[in-house]
Amino acid sequence: MKWFLFYPELYTFAGGMVFLSLSLLKQANPRRDYFAAMILAALGVLVCLISVNQEGSLFFKTYQVDLFSQVFKVMLSLGLFLIICICSELKAIAEWHHPEFYLLLFVSTLAMMMLVSGAHILTIYMALELSSYSLYVLVALRKGERVGLEAGLKYFLVGILVSAVMIFGVALLYSATQVTYVTDMMRVLPGALDSPLVVIGLLLTLCGFFFKLAVFPFHFWAPDVYQGAANQATAYIATASKVAAIAILIRMIAVTGDGSTYLAHVLVILSIVSMTVGNLAAIVQKDLKRLLAFSTVAHAGYVLIGILGMSTLGYSSVIFYAMALLVMKFTAFLVVVKVADDGSNLQMSQLAGLHRRSPLLAMALMVSVFSLAGIPPTIGFTGKFLVFAAAMEKGYFTLVLIAMINVVISLYYYLLILKAAYLEEPAEELPPLSLSPQIKILAGLLVCVMVAAGIFPRYLLDLASAAAAVLN
Amino acid sequence: MEYANFPYLTTILLSCIVGLLVILCIPEERKTQIKWVSAVFSGITLILSVYLFMAYDKAQGGLQFVEKLPWVESLGITYFNAADGFNLPMLLLTGIVFFTGVLTMWELENRVKEFYAFYYLMVLAVFGIFMSMDLFFIFIWYDVSLFPMYLLIAIWGTTRKEYGAMKLTLYLLAGSALVLPAIIYLFVGSGLNTFDITILMKPGTFTPDQQKFAFILFYIGFGILAGVWPFHTWSPVGHVAAPHGVSMVHAGVLMKIGGFAILRVGIFLCPEGWQHWAQLMAVLAAIGIVYGAFVGLSQKDLKYVIGYSSVSHMGIVGLGLSTVSVDGLNGAVFQMFAHGVMTALFFSAVGYIYDRTHTKVIAELGGLSRIMPVASTYFIVAAMASMGIPCLASFWGELMVFIAAFKTYPVRGALAVCALVVSALFMLRVVQRTFYGPKNEKFAHLTDVTFGLGIPRMILLATLLLFGLFPALMFDMIATASIPFFNGLP
Repeated sequence: MKWFLFYPELYTFAGGMVFLSLSLLKQANPRRDYFAAMILAALGVLVCLISVNQEGSLFFKTYQVDLFSQVFKVMLSLGLFLIICICSELKAIAEWHHPEFYLLLFVSTLAMMMLVSGAHILTIYMALELSSYSLYVLVALRKGERVGLEAGLKYFLVGILVSAVMIFGVALLYSATQVTYVTDMMRVLPGALDSPLVVIGLLLTLCGFFFKLAVFPFHFWAPDVYQGAANQATAYIATASKVAAIAILIRMIAVTGDGSTYLAHVLVILSIVSMTVGNLAAIVQKDLKRLLAFSTVAHAGYVLIGILGMSTLGYSSVIFYAMALLVMKFTAFLVVVKVADDGSNLQMSQLAGLHRRSPLLAMALMVSVFSLAGIPPTIGFTGKFLVFAAAMEKGYFTLVLIAMINVVISLYYYLLILKAAYLEEPAEELPPLSLSPQIKILAGLLVCVMVAAGIFPRYLLDLASAAAAVLN
Repeated sequence: MEYANFPYLTTILLSCIVGLLVILCIPEERKTQIKWVSAVFSGITLILSVYLFMAYDKAQGGLQFVEKLPWVESLGITYFNAADGFNLPMLLLTGIVFFTGVLTMWELENRVKEFYAFYYLMVLAVFGIFMSMDLFFIFIWYDVSLFPMYLLIAIWGTTRKEYGAMKLTLYLLAGSALVLPAIIYLFVGSGLNTFDITILMKPGTFTPDQQKFAFILFYIGFGILAGVWPFHTWSPVGHVAAPHGVSMVHAGVLMKIGGFAILRVGIFLCPEGWQHWAQLMAVLAAIGIVYGAFVGLSQKDLKYVIGYSSVSHMGIVGLGLSTVSVDGLNGAVFQMFAHGVMTALFFSAVGYIYDRTHTKVIAELGGLSRIMPVASTYFIVAAMASMGIPCLASFWGELMVFIAAFKTYPVRGALAVCALVVSALFMLRVVQRTFYGPKNEKFAHLTDVTFGLGIPRMILLATLLLFGLFPALMFDMIATASIPFFNGLP
């Protein structure tokens, strides 16, 4: 056994165990839990960074460690770290549940790390379920309000339904091709894509990942879950969980080689509908988290545009897009968490006067919103540009045009957010927001990263290309 | 190409960026200090743009002051700035309007720091578009120049500001939604993996069909910004809602970006598409000229009048571009410059009047020439320029365009000239009602423009006169670019 290949997972598992033991202690101590989680997560990022160049396979080749998986592991651990940074005042979770909250975050991250490395359909399925179950509980943990429980239940019911569909697809795929290893699929599938059984099996299998990514028509859980979960839990679902979903989707689509036109057509339709539905539904939202949920659906559509070209260029563009999503979505949620400092849901109208209450947060919100909308010079624009260029290379001109029209639609509600933050005045004078120096530094850093990566995308781009190159 | 011994163009961008950062570092309360800093850094850009205009070697022509730096090699993106006869007039215009715009907003008291920060960001991007020779950068600067507009109008604007701001932003970004696919289409279609315009514009890079397809996207996409009829409706609303300094940059410079980008991107890269669609361009331009003039006739708000006259004048630019001739190109670029200075003077003059009287409704004003004769003079001169009176810069631009248009499209040219009469009529009507006639006693106590506040208006007026009396200064410059370009066409 080459255990060093498994260090990020082992470390994250150990982190989870720490919180398991902490949860057994009688006395709740939120500060202790917060600092422990912060330090553990920060070290976790370091561990992932150290093992970024590892390569090999484990467990009878069911577990693949390559640059692709390691880059995503760095993103996931970074996502975990960022989420824990904004957990300093976890008011939506009961104090004695804090260790469990962190435990579930760690376990879910562990599962996602296994997901991005999965090279056998069962490993992938197991990892997917483990991460989903942690998230179901995470959503339901919200204190006092029934809305959390309701959202958790909804998430759970849709989730198990989709996983049943997915396992059915896996069975079909197996009956048609008799393969379960991803490497074997790569060999067998490109030649077998004319068979309807294979295409249907593959599509049903993909449903599990579409659910995670909140692609239409598997997006129905998103708005309710986003609204019902604690703000920090929502932030986690919107960032880390989406990154993992993108990774596994790329890996599964990549096994089809050049792909079939039939599969590509299905993806085109899903992409167009996701974008349009997400953007149109987001326009009327008043709750900021619901709005971000629908914008996530739209972003899932943009992600599919890059994937459906089924080219290395497309995969690298989507990897870049995942990095962009992680940063820009997180920044938006940072603002949500900090403005709704009592842990409640944030309405658009509560953003009023933000430019005076905290100019820094207002600026962070502005940059993240422009980045989400895809306005240069932000990382979000570069991501969109790459994705569109990859699709154009394959001749999808109309698709790109529709996507650009969607960008204009989405700009409308993004501008409404800005209007709320910069223009509207609150009914009664609200005190300035007090932010800890760490949060100020974090917000400033995120703004710098979003702009700097938009202006100098070169290094991230090279990294994404290198990660995509190992897929073939 | 002649590489620059000193990066003048980048220095212009840098002085905007440094100015922006300095403004961000000054505490909000020190308003005067912020204004002085803004004036100083915008002054630097003005001096540099004037210097470049004079230092350009006309005998040699071509691209000068070239700066090149690979940006993202894997995608073929280059940081590539250069100056030629087409963009130097535009850079000069931007320098003038930027500086005078900062001075026009001197009396601003509300959220001064944010205003100048967004203002600088917008102008930075405008400079970027005019000097860039890389498609990717042109698009980036294009979008960056648009989004500060939303906040600038929505926060500091006046009439129906939120509606105007939203309409303007969505319209202009809808334009960019057409432009980006077209850019990627050409980038992928060329197979050269480069965004460098000088490489992509070589004849034979694109097939005629590709050119026709991409050109119409560029024309509509950038045309929205240039106020091409029927995509102009954002422009009067946006002009009216915007604060004066922003209206100046907006009508004076931002609309020119549209015209300039049609030239630099559309016409340079897709000359055959240009020739193919020229008829359509001429029709839309002629309708725009006539329509703008007639709608302007019935407006009751001073700023709306200027807004519609802008639509009409930008139609002249479009008509010039559509003639596919050297004279047309010369006239169009000259007209862009002249119209920019002229509208800036318009909005600057109206700004002063509005800040005192708090109304822009023509019927409520009246006899202003006796209350504030100097302020009235500025407006009247701008109105004269708008009518195309000789000795003022706009005359030459319009003359050139109409000469070219008569040769190519006699009917449409004649229509457009008739519309000029209408536009003269509505300008005279506005001048008569606003500045002559019975004095409105309510405004009798108001003071006239002081020397300090008059500086921006004087600069603009002097520019109009200078290029009106010595048009060769500008025509010789534009010809260094237009004649070689035209001779190089297949």
